[in-house]
Amino acid sequence: MTWLGKTLRAAGLMLLTGALLGGATGCANLGVKPWERDLLAEPGMEIDPDVVITALDEHIYFSKEASTGGLGTAGGGCGCN
Amino acid sequence: MRSAIIGACGMLGLGGATAEATEVKTAILGYTEPDRVTAIEAIVDGQHAFDNGKIFNFRLVYDALTGASATGAAPSSLAQTFTRPSGEGSYRVAPGETPLDDTFRDTRMALSAGLTMPLNRVTNFSFGLYGSGEYDYVSLGANTALTRDFNQKNTTVALRGAFFSDSISPEGGRPVPFTAMPDEGIEKAQLSGDGSKTVMDLGVGLTQVLNRSTVVHLNYTYSDVNDYQTDPFKMLSVVDPVTGDPRGADAYLYENRPDARTKHVLFGRVAKHLGRDIVHLSYRYFTDNWGIDSHTFDLTYRWNFGGGKYLKPHLRYSDQGAADFHRSFLVDGEALPEHASADYRLGDMQALTYGLTHGRIVGDGHELTVRLEYYVQSGDSHPAEAIGVLQNYDLFPTVDALIFQVGYTFDLME
Repeated sequence: MTWLGKTLRAAGLMLLTGALLGGATGCANLGVKPWERDLLAEPGMEIDPDVVITALDEHIYFSKEASTGGLGTAGGGCGCN
Repeated sequence: MRSAIIGACGMLGLGGATAEATEVKTAILGYTEPDRVTAIEAIVDGQHAFDNGKIFNFRLVYDALTGASATGAAPSSLAQTFTRPSGEGSYRVAPGETPLDDTFRDTRMALSAGLTMPLNRVTNFSFGLYGSGEYDYVSLGANTALTRDFNQKNTTVALRGAFFSDSISPEGGRPVPFTAMPDEGIEKAQLSGDGSKTVMDLGVGLTQVLNRSTVVHLNYTYSDVNDYQTDPFKMLSVVDPVTGDPRGADAYLYENRPDARTKHVLFGRVAKHLGRDIVHLSYRYFTDNWGIDSHTFDLTYRWNFGGGKYLKPHLRYSDQGAADFHRSFLVDGEALPEHASADYRLGDMQALTYGLTHGRIVGDGHELTVRLEYYVQSGDSHPAEAIGVLQNYDLFPTVDALIFQVGYTFDLME
């Protein structure tokens, strides 16, 4: 793994750990009231705002790399080359 | 390949409307690698929300692929001749060239459908079915999910499960692992029957609204894959320990992968509204018992211009470590490992994607999108273990691709 990969790995794990700790300890105190959801309801704020692009990209990356999945259950395979 | 993305989105009480509505998203994508694979893929993804809260979704995907695919054999200072997978015919690779089988051609049709139903005000249950078929590969699957909202719908927890059963009946049969590629017209040693594989996925997800402009999503997926996972078209060169050229006889052996694979995937994404624009940042950590691990970052920035127009730059970087059994070649005279594959996709690699999507509202609230992206993948071109002439050749040629997509989203029922 390259130095860039190691740096990104450390940054990613810190991001994930922070998010997990934040999520685990603060869920009950986080969030908004129902009338404060104006920005959250805008197009593009969904966790997966482009399900079609996600599906097409996952097929590409599944075919070209050995790592798959993440956003949902990754499933099985295809005869992709 | 399919992604049964279940219930992760739209569970945060962002909508709340109970009127019936149908939304259909369509797209056609072109993918082209210079001198290698070209693909066209079309997708129709629909969702109908009933007034009783149930949601029906379906997806139809068609893709056609053609071109040349790396066989796994190493380049040589000599011209090399390979028997086609069918056993009928052969092709010749010039000295110094990466061996590519240029007869790769396939079409695939995939269909999935599912239903999400509310069990009560804060709990949803969903299930779905999946099926896909191509010339030599069939996959059937089912998935289910249970989601529950907490904390005034600011927190959503999802439990997901999926099961798939795949079968492969490749052209020319499934070669016995580590047997030699026969000459043209001679039948290869074959495993009996079709190959089969099962996949079981289990996942847990957490989606949390942090504040008025920020949502965080975390996902963990465990995946257990069993039975035939060898690529029947891939092989390894057995090279002379001094010259690095293929040995005189039985120089190409069919690959052999383990029958069991356990994967763990940790995924995190933050969606942040910046007042006008929206940014999504994701990180994925992948690891499996084949020794592969990877770190993948993904960043999109939706630059809103008003009137439904936007530009969305996209950047993705992935750094993957090789499978324990990945070999660029085997060496004549050395004992065969238990498993080995020269498939570059199982090797050390870095992959970069960058591109741009433009979206705009057209007509009666319909959305038109155009996307152009570039994908490039590189690895260790000159590994330290290269022998003789192999030190002169690029053992991991850069793979790059252009991706072009046009999408159209519309409502059938207002």
